[in-house]
Amino acid sequence: MEKTPTKIVVYHCRNLRLFHDGRQKDFERSRPGLKLVTIPCSGKVEAHHLLQTLAGGARGALVLACAEKACKYLEGSMRSHKRVDYARVWLKKIGIEPERLEFIHLPPMDRGALDDVLEEFTRTLESFETVPAAANIQQSR
Amino acid sequence: MIVAELKEIPEIRKMIDRYQSVLVVGCDSCVAECAVGGRRETALLAAAIRLSYAKENKSRIITEACLDRQCVDDFIEGVASQVPEHDAILSLGCGAGVQALARVYTDKPIIPALDTLFIGETEMRGVWQENCLGCGQCKLGYFGAVCPVTRCSKKLMNGPCGGSKDGRCEVHPDIPCGWDMILKRLEALGEIDRLREYVPPVDWSTSHSGGPRRVVREDQKP
Repeated sequence: MEKTPTKIVVYHCRNLRLFHDGRQKDFERSRPGLKLVTIPCSGKVEAHHLLQTLAGGARGALVLACAEKACKYLEGSMRSHKRVDYARVWLKKIGIEPERLEFIHLPPMDRGALDDVLEEFTRTLESFETVPAAANIQQSR
Repeated sequence: MIVAELKEIPEIRKMIDRYQSVLVVGCDSCVAECAVGGRRETALLAAAIRLSYAKENKSRIITEACLDRQCVDDFIEGVASQVPEHDAILSLGCGAGVQALARVYTDKPIIPALDTLFIGETEMRGVWQENCLGCGQCKLGYFGAVCPVTRCSKKLMNGPCGGSKDGRCEVHPDIPCGWDMILKRLEALGEIDRLREYVPPVDWSTSHSGGPRRVVREDQKP
């Protein structure tokens, strides 16, 4: 039986211009299990988004942000870092590996760096035994 | 506003484990301001509960909703259509909100997710300070708008105890002395003479010590 790809959701700041050439979908398709979400600033990601991502079935989530001093909105990158840390505290509280959430400053337009990060993150996630099997939980609003 | 804190997840789980479906209801007023019960926090808690059940491979229905106010009937009706589909409601409202939900939805267990702490203000982002006990006889006008009942650990009404050091409270050195604040404020206002007036001891019968309080205004009734 074919191995199920590790499901990873990546929230990346638009100002990193990782896919300025419009090849985001190609990048996604070539890496099964990967979901890329472009956000206007990494500061838009909040703790509940990250926990909802895991509850929705992802094995891990990455937030890719600009360097703190390069943030177009001044505080977005710094706030995002704090929020990822806060979400990791919540994961600890419920006994789930906090390393399932990662915050990384990435150089702008560097897809090679993104590949390296994804490779390492996938290895980390695959080392965890328990999976947030959120498929059992019905969500509604 | 009312200031509250989130209970620990194991305590919440202990109270809701017996139900198959739970409606998590936030309150977007006071408890949103103190960052424990608004829309964001409701979504966060609901996701955390889903994950905690998922981790144990248990199947549950966890739904989230948020009311603008959980202590007013007109707003409480906002979740009326969702309530019958669930076994219980987990409230992120203060104690008043929890009890208001229980009064309206009489056939549903209402579980509190918060510990309600006090009436206070947002001193700065992430810091909430108690500054009103709701004693029922406000005398802030005499004390430069600093409440000796709340801000003085000894609840002294006619001057400082003499034990404070460097403007810090003798009982809790990590908080400022209430009377130091009163004196500085009245001096700055040029109204230190207000302290010459004797203030009688607090009559606690108008506080909660006199039992649950109720305000009835005929002009406001329908």
